[in-house]
Amino acid sequence: MEQHATISAEGLTKIYEDGVCALDHVSFAVKPGEIFCLLGGNGAGKTTAINIFLGFIPPSQGVAKIHNVDIHRDPLEAKKYVSYLSDVVMLYPNFTARQNLDFFARLGGKHALTRDDYYTALRRVGLQEKAFEQKLKGFSKGMRQKVGLAIAIIKESPAIILDEPTSGLDPKAANEFQTTLLGLRAQGKAILMSTHDIFRAKEIADTVGIMNEGKMLAIKSRKELEHEDLEQLYLNYIHGKVAA
Amino acid sequence: MLRILVEKELRDILYSTKFSITFGASALLVMLSFYVGIRNYQESMREYESAKSVNVSTMATLTDWNGVQHKVFREPEPLQVLVNGVANDVGRTTDMRVRGELSLFNSRYSVDPLFAVFRFLDLNFVIAIVFSLFAILFGYDAINGEKESGTLKLVFSNAVSRADFILGKLFGSILALIVPLIVPFLVGCLMVIGFGVPISADEWIKLLLIILSGFLYFGAFLAVSIFISAVVSKSSVSFLFSLVVWIFSVLIIPKTSILVASQIAKVPNVDAVDAQKRKFLNQQLAGRQQKMQQFMQSATFDEGFSNRFNAFNDSISKIYEKERETFFQRLNEDWRNKKEWQERWAFRLSRISPTAIYQIASSNLAGTDVALKQRYLEAVNKYQEQFGEFMMKKGVSMGGMRVVIRSSGQQTQEEQPKPINVSELPQFVETRENVAAAFSRAVPDLGFLVVLNIVLFAAGFVAFLKFDVR
Ligand SMILES: Nc1ncnc2c1ncn2[C@@H]1O[C@H](COP(=O)(O)OP(=O)(O)OP(=O)(O)O)[C@@H](O)[C@H]1O
Ligand SMILES: [Mg+2]
Repeated sequence: MEQHATISAEGLTKIYEDGVCALDHVSFAVKPGEIFCLLGGNGAGKTTAINIFLGFIPPSQGVAKIHNVDIHRDPLEAKKYVSYLSDVVMLYPNFTARQNLDFFARLGGKHALTRDDYYTALRRVGLQEKAFEQKLKGFSKGMRQKVGLAIAIIKESPAIILDEPTSGLDPKAANEFQTTLLGLRAQGKAILMSTHDIFRAKEIADTVGIMNEGKMLAIKSRKELEHEDLEQLYLNYIHGKVAA
Repeated sequence: MLRILVEKELRDILYSTKFSITFGASALLVMLSFYVGIRNYQESMREYESAKSVNVSTMATLTDWNGVQHKVFREPEPLQVLVNGVANDVGRTTDMRVRGELSLFNSRYSVDPLFAVFRFLDLNFVIAIVFSLFAILFGYDAINGEKESGTLKLVFSNAVSRADFILGKLFGSILALIVPLIVPFLVGCLMVIGFGVPISADEWIKLLLIILSGFLYFGAFLAVSIFISAVVSKSSVSFLFSLVVWIFSVLIIPKTSILVASQIAKVPNVDAVDAQKRKFLNQQLAGRQQKMQQFMQSATFDEGFSNRFNAFNDSISKIYEKERETFFQRLNEDWRNKKEWQERWAFRLSRISPTAIYQIASSNLAGTDVALKQRYLEAVNKYQEQFGEFMMKKGVSMGGMRVVIRSSGQQTQEEQPKPINVSELPQFVETRENVAAAFSRAVPDLGFLVVLNIVLFAAGFVAFLKFDVR
């Protein structure tokens, strides 16, 4: 089973220089065609985990693998197989949506794409046509987020990591976003996303990992959640932890 | 990968508003500096030609070589007008004498004080001051700016090495800065050709070298501002730091180093040296008058007197001339040595500043470095020998007085004095320095600029390796 996982964490631990333990032996795995939601409150350690997966920070202990490559050992190789979208995407304000997409696509190793390919990707994330050739300067947060998702899609990597991608989006935009993600899952991508949003997690996730204060409290599959109230479960876990 | 990053960096700058402003301003300044330079060249060329012809026509009215007051003039050079250096501070006229010390006077600035006020507008000023400022404008937020906009994380979520990224920054912004220099520069070159300014192949090469050293110069500023942007986390703060570096490089270090050097190495001022010279000459004159009196007292005034007097006069002239020459030479040499030592200190200290290094290199290439006066004086002194020999042949005495006794009754029509033939005078031709000589003088400072680029970039690279991209 572990062998098939596209994204996997084994005993991931992070203690920051100031002594804060942001991750405490966290393990999980995301398989192709699976959406894994890291669910947790502020300071739970979600971003820390994601930053380790992208090689932005080294883990204090444990291994983070993408496509079976240890990100810390061989970051350049591992990053070939992952695309990333953060909660605030500013992109290059002097470039148009297409130019931004073009630059990141080529960084991601896609050299032979045409204008049509870019337009297709932008259409897929639901960006309005007239914005394709407009500079990013005047884009709203939702529009920027769409371009960001297009960037993540166009790389066609087996793993996609998203850090609170829908925070700050209006319901319609968030819904469109969700539809796109489901499409990616159907394509067999392994998707790891963090969120505060219990309802969205329940709607979209194949697996939910409940995190609090750096610990992975529970990992529940969609099936296990079907008959449970995720919100209650989440609160129980957190309070249980607090009480313990 | 590097190509993608360089291209992106270049395009990111080219599409920005700051680039449009930069390009407009630099196009205006570079072309203006060419235009002003060309006009100045033409004007000083006119002055030069007319001064020469006045000199010749004044001499042409004379009938006796004894009365000749010959002047030589420093010819304006096209490159000096683009890289002023000290060209406008050094005198352009020399009173040619058979013997004795020559001096330069009549500098451009002394004649044209208003011109001195606008002394800055040469190509070199635009590169040294304006382009270094543009460089920090392009580089100050290279790293931390991308962190602030979150693009750094997005870039490094791909298989991009930090080396490629920072190299892309450097090359991209250098290219972006070359554009606003090279485009108006080429227009300026066309203007030079169009206005018919005679530039030799050697001078074209020198100009090219000056521009290339300009690239090295603002490369250093880009490297330093990229370094700062990788150390300081906020772009607004790194802009301030870069600006401080710029102010120190452009203004404070060069001026301070001159002040400090004048404290380290004291040089007597020119007036003091002149006073010493005058004192010596007065002593000589007194001695000479004494000798002359003795001669007159023991003289018999017969037919041979005029010949004997001239011979005596020539002989003491020679002796005193020799004395004077050795004394002045010693004095000048002593002063020059001290001055050189001071200059060396000033230059050594000022080389902390990239601006000073660039200015020294470019003025060496253009031949407008501080040694310009010395080189020119050497040329004039060489000419003086030629001139002296020529005048001797024409029977002009070594100096002092000359007695000519004519019997008044014998004057006839034929003996009516004929005007002298000025064209017999040897021509003063100043040989212009070739590229190799100018380049070899500029090499140490060009080397400094290269080293500076490497060191500053390495510093930026090391800082960036530790930079937190989150
Ligand atoms: N650079 C850092 N240095 C020290 N401590 C840090 C650093 N970054 C995060 N932390 C701490 O690590 C813990 C986890 O933070 P993290 O950003 O991973 O949480 P999160 O789950 O993403 O929260 P949020 O929902 O607010 O984004 C927090 O207590 C935070 O204060
Ligand atoms: Mg977070």
